[in-house]
Amino acid sequence: MVFVLFALSVLIFFLTRGLLPPTTALAPYINPRLTDAGKLSIARAVGVATSSCASFSDFAALRSGCVTPLWTQYFYWLKNVLVGNWGYTLLPGISGTQTTWSVFFGRFPYTAELDIVAAALTFIIGVPLGIISATRNNKVPDHISRIVSLGGYSIPQFWFGAMLLIVFVLYFRVGGLGLLPASGALGTTCALCFGQSQVGTITSYTGVPLLDSLFSLNIPYFWDSVVALILPALTLAITSLGLLTRIVRSNMMEVLRQDYITMAKSKGLKERVVTYKHALRNAILPAITVAGLLVTYLIGGSVIVEIVFSWPGVGSAALVAADVLDINFLELFVLVAGVIIVVTNLVVDILYAVLDPRIRF
Amino acid sequence: MSQTENPPAKIRGQHSDFRYALHLLRQNPIVMAGLVISVATVLLALFSNVLVNGAYWHQQNLNLRLCWNNPDFGWPVTNMFNCGGSVYPIGTDAYGRNLLDMIVLAIPIDLQIALEVVASAVVIGVVFGSLAAYMGGLVDEIILRITDIFLAVPWILLAIVLIVVLGRSLTTLTVAVIITWWPWYVRLMRSQVIGEKEKLYVERLRMVGAGWPRILFRHIIPNSIYPILVQSTLDIGSVILTVSALTFIGLTPNPLLPELGNLSNQGIQYFFTAPWLITFPGLTILIISLGFNLLGDGIRDIFDPRLRR
Repeated sequence: MVFVLFALSVLIFFLTRGLLPPTTALAPYINPRLTDAGKLSIARAVGVATSSCASFSDFAALRSGCVTPLWTQYFYWLKNVLVGNWGYTLLPGISGTQTTWSVFFGRFPYTAELDIVAAALTFIIGVPLGIISATRNNKVPDHISRIVSLGGYSIPQFWFGAMLLIVFVLYFRVGGLGLLPASGALGTTCALCFGQSQVGTITSYTGVPLLDSLFSLNIPYFWDSVVALILPALTLAITSLGLLTRIVRSNMMEVLRQDYITMAKSKGLKERVVTYKHALRNAILPAITVAGLLVTYLIGGSVIVEIVFSWPGVGSAALVAADVLDINFLELFVLVAGVIIVVTNLVVDILYAVLDPRIRF
Repeated sequence: MSQTENPPAKIRGQHSDFRYALHLLRQNPIVMAGLVISVATVLLALFSNVLVNGAYWHQQNLNLRLCWNNPDFGWPVTNMFNCGGSVYPIGTDAYGRNLLDMIVLAIPIDLQIALEVVASAVVIGVVFGSLAAYMGGLVDEIILRITDIFLAVPWILLAIVLIVVLGRSLTTLTVAVIITWWPWYVRLMRSQVIGEKEKLYVERLRMVGAGWPRILFRHIIPNSIYPILVQSTLDIGSVILTVSALTFIGLTPNPLLPELGNLSNQGIQYFFTAPWLITFPGLTILIISLGFNLLGDGIRDIFDPRLRR
């Protein structure tokens, strides 16, 4: 686990630093108004310029002996990663004195909120679909469920989001659905708020608009955040549930064929009790194993969904970062995603052992 | 020893087995629909330059941009431009080109990238997956750990980083998608070969003195490649989704290029003035990827002996 994260950091470091000039790597750490001597001292502190380098122009010209070897740079970089020093943001429209770290984690709660709600929706929609599909095998509900899951698997995420916008916002103008929560800072605008123009006070406890408004007892703003979340979360959930539905369906079909189910039925138990009490418990367990995959899929998908819905999360910012070559923002995003995925896989393994008494490590 | 063992009598010959599969295929309307869509897509891709002049996409006509002239269908947007006298069945794009022509020109580009990605991923997966499974030990461990690393990053992030670093072109786009795609094939092939290499015929081959490259490449791989090929059919749709998602978010070599994600990118920029610009390219992606997914799903069901009975 630690190995995977270490290897991931090596991979991402050599991909970015190895293929881009060292001046790009230095850019987040220096202020363009600094003198050359100041720039050179920062370049030495970051570990891209050697101590024998005479001047900054030598470094910028990549004179031999001026740029430290990549391996040395890696350890300087790793040290900065571990203390959370990612330099200043290069994203346009943000004051240059904000660090990449603060910009990233200022936006991250929005992405986390979207992904967690979407994951919950995926399970709420996907598991029942799989069960229905298995219990009514080869009947109409099965066909509908298979069409939904295969359709969700084949539909472009951006297109599904855009279609929801066309239907609910362009055609039917359902109040507030396409409107966003106040982007960036909390409490500047309010889309619905029951006619109130002022939002009232919201204290930022977590950065997640849903929780903050709830903790501040600001119900209009809470409602506003919920409404804004519906379409993006639904887009993400519908396009991600195919895998889950398929696994629940095949497990359920496997379990329903087993002897103890026949036994339970012949005892005279109701169909519903057998399905939901005896079969489901065994069928749902392997579905937990796809959680790691689902998290990977949701983090990737949220990049696209955030762009379609102009959601103020890290995904839409990553694209701007790609445009302005803010490599540190992308590196930070990759590493944070890696940590989340690795931790999810670990939790899934532990949870699996706890829930299934047959497995012992 | 082998002389005393009789091979099990064949119940159905290989020929009739194939005919039985065809019979099942014909009986399943959903798979037939997938087959029809996939074949139509390939045909359209092959003949797109006959249907539409391939050089046409360079020509911009800014007087005709974002116009819609179909009286049978209206969009809920104000200030819709009219195209004058000429007919554009599904409107024009942001550069004043016929959107239908652009979609026809886009299909071969997307399909070509998808085929390149799938073919490369299959080759990489077959070679490394079978090596990992057959060699076992350290080789297996190293290859598996490398796939672990790649699977711990969301594919889109890795692709964004790769395209930013390598520069924007169709080649880097293809390479980026290959790099995010190959680990799955390595894992699939590995699991196949692990089951296959324990079989008796492999032991017998070793006994008669066949070397490992011969055993692996002449015997084990042909016997275990089948699920990989099914998976690759299924993946063509997914690769088209992936590539169009990447160009949709703006990682495109040329904004003028008729590529389905690229056209959709224009669509989201002009969403409130020209909704058709995202509707139709996206619909094309949906139909193509649904076609390949239905076909792959059906092939898997039909050729899976466990599900036949």
